[in-house]
Amino acid sequence: MIKPITTATPIKLNQRMANSLEKFSEQGGEKIANYINAAGKFAIAPLMILYNPFTKEPKENKKWAAVKQPVEAVVTIAAQIMSLNLLYKGIDKLAEKGKLNFKLVQDAEKSGKIPEAILKANSGDKVKALKTLQKTCLDIFKDRTGTILTIALYVPILAVSNRIFPVIADLLTKDNDDE
Amino acid sequence: MSKITPITQSKLFNNHLKRVINDDAFAARTIVVCSVLKDVFAYSVRYKTTMENKKIPEKRRPFVAAMDLASGVVTSVAQIAVGFSIASPKVQNKLWNKIFGNAQFKNIGVAKKSFATILALIGSGLITERVLVPLMATPLAAFVEKKFFKHDATAPATSAKTYSNYPFHKPTVFKKMFKSKTNA
Repeated sequence: MIKPITTATPIKLNQRMANSLEKFSEQGGEKIANYINAAGKFAIAPLMILYNPFTKEPKENKKWAAVKQPVEAVVTIAAQIMSLNLLYKGIDKLAEKGKLNFKLVQDAEKSGKIPEAILKANSGDKVKALKTLQKTCLDIFKDRTGTILTIALYVPILAVSNRIFPVIADLLTKDNDDE
Repeated sequence: MSKITPITQSKLFNNHLKRVINDDAFAARTIVVCSVLKDVFAYSVRYKTTMENKKIPEKRRPFVAAMDLASGVVTSVAQIAVGFSIASPKVQNKLWNKIFGNAQFKNIGVAKKSFATILALIGSGLITERVLVPLMATPLAAFVEKKFFKHDATAPATSAKTYSNYPFHKPTVFKKMFKSKTNA
C-alpha cells in the first residue's frame, strides 16, 4: 500500500506532550491523582510484589498479594470516577443557582484586585479574569470535596474488592493446597 | 444562605484558594498531601478488612495484611518526601525548561500548575509508592508478620484464635460494619 505524501510539518514531540498536558489538566487534580494511583496499582504494584528480590515468601503468597492490586485498581477507579462525576455535576448545579459564592471572587469583584496569576493568564482583561477566578475557585473546591468523597468511598470499595479478589486469586493461582 | 456558605466564605478556605492560585508548588504539594491522606485511610481500613476477610485462607491472611500495614507506614513518609521535592520550584523550572522550553500553550499558567501536580504525583504515587515502597515493604512485611503475628500452635488451623493477637485489632466500628458482609 502506497502511503500518501503529506507536506505538513510533523508536530514536535514536546508540542504533542504540551497538548496532552493541557487536555489532561482539564480533568482536575483529584481525578488526575486517582488515574495515576490506579495506573500504578494496576500495572506496577503486582510486578513489584511478584519479582521483589528481597522477599523469601512462598510464591503462592506473593501471587495472592499481587492479584489483589489490579482487582482493587479496576474496582476503585470505576467507582471513584462515577461518583466524582456525580459530585461535580451537583457542585456545578449549585454554582449555577448562585449558591457557591467564594469570598475571594466577591472581594475581587468589589475591589478589582485579582490574583496576578489569573490576570496574567487573561492578558489583563479583568472581566475574563473574574470568570477564570470563579472557575478556578470552583475547580479547587471540587478537588477538595472530591478528596473527602474518595476517602469516604474507600470503605465500600474495599468491601467489594475484598469479596472479588480471593475468587480471582484462586482462579489464577490454582491453589490446591490445604487451608 | 446555603449550608456551604460558611466554607466558601471562611477566611481559612479563601486563603487556601489564594495560595493554590498563586503558588504552583503549594498546589502540587496539596494534591500530594491529599493523596497521602487517602493512602493512610485506605491502608488502615484495608488492614482491618483483610484480617477479617474469611474468604482469604487463614494461612495467607497474615502476609496479605502485613503487606498492607508495612506499605501504609513506609508509603506515607516516602511519598511526602519525594512529592514535595519534585514540586519545589527549582526542580520544576529545570524540568519545564528541558521538556517544554519551546512548546506553545493556550494557558501556560494552568499548564505549569498541572505539570507540577502531575510530576509530583508520578514521583510520589507511581515511582515511590509502587516501586520503591514495595521493595522496602515486602521484607518489612515478613518482619512484621514474624514479630507481631504470633501463631498459636495449639489452636486448630481454622480457629479464630489462631491469629487473635495481631496488632490494632479490637472489635471496632469497622468490624461491626463488615461483619455481615465478610461472613456472607
